[in-house]
Amino acid sequence: MATKGEKHSPLEQFEIIPYSKTQLGGYDISFTNSSLSMIITVAVITLFLTLTVNPRSLVPTRMQLISELMYNFIAQLLSDTVGDNGKKYFPFVFSLFMFVLIGNMVGMVPYQFTFTSHIIVTFALASIVFIGVTILGFVNHGIKFFTFFYIPGVPFYMHPLLIPIEIISYLSRPISLSVRLFANMLAGHTLLKVFAGFVVAMPFFTGALPLVFIVALTGLEILIAFLQAYVFAILTCLYINDAYHLH
Amino acid sequence: MVDDDKLKELKARIQTAKTTNTPPPKKNKESGAGFGFKISSEIIAALVVGVGIGLIVDKYLGTKPFGLIIFFIFGALAGFLNVYRVMRRIEKQ
Repeated sequence: MATKGEKHSPLEQFEIIPYSKTQLGGYDISFTNSSLSMIITVAVITLFLTLTVNPRSLVPTRMQLISELMYNFIAQLLSDTVGDNGKKYFPFVFSLFMFVLIGNMVGMVPYQFTFTSHIIVTFALASIVFIGVTILGFVNHGIKFFTFFYIPGVPFYMHPLLIPIEIISYLSRPISLSVRLFANMLAGHTLLKVFAGFVVAMPFFTGALPLVFIVALTGLEILIAFLQAYVFAILTCLYINDAYHLH
Repeated sequence: MVDDDKLKELKARIQTAKTTNTPPPKKNKESGAGFGFKISSEIIAALVVGVGIGLIVDKYLGTKPFGLIIFFIFGALAGFLNVYRVMRRIEKQ
């Protein structure tokens, strides 16, 4: 049982621990456990994809098949949502998807930090998408991109009401995109730790009950980790599609 | 002919294997919590943007508190619009 004074907060896992104190121009750019987690993620992705595809066999091995499946998954997603224009954005969407997916999966390893459970990380990713898509819209349509906020076929006196709503709806995209991923990861990992606390705190062998629950929950978490990466990728595709086809 | 019989038998076996082994059509079924997060994040995001714009307008135009009130309402409406669009997208699938 947890004695007094010891801290066993379920939120302890989200603490940022700086490994080095570095300051640059008044900004804190310390190397933290979050940065380490990201580096591990990028290393895992790079190593896995390059090593498995390296033999380039016509009949793929199991591992090569996994890489090809992931490639096909995103390629299919892009062609389904954006169409032929989508091929150009494959590297971007694929990197984003893999980064979020493997980031979530690395976070599932015990004692490993989950960087997607910090809203600043997800918000930065969502901002890249948002800013990129907005620039793309202006490049494709020029000043006509503003007609995105103008809904045709509506009585003219409704426009003063509808245009601010449309603009707010557009601006809320990066926030909803980031909040969704962040909230899912935060809630899932907190729940796991709360139930882990029950295992220790419950008397006799009743602690086995929450333990069974944790096992089931871990499976669900892995599903959610994949699902959220998928949602992130599909929404990015939909936003890219919007930048091509206004309405 | 013997070969013909064999072929027919094989065809029947393939047919049964196909019917028994084909996975049921993929349903994009999410957990209830996932759906809840989806909808709530849409509403929260729109409200955050609405309130943010309202506060900025109040600060720079000195219209306290009307900017906040108006943009809060706009934010709420935008949240409903977002939810409506999500639901329409789900129905399409």
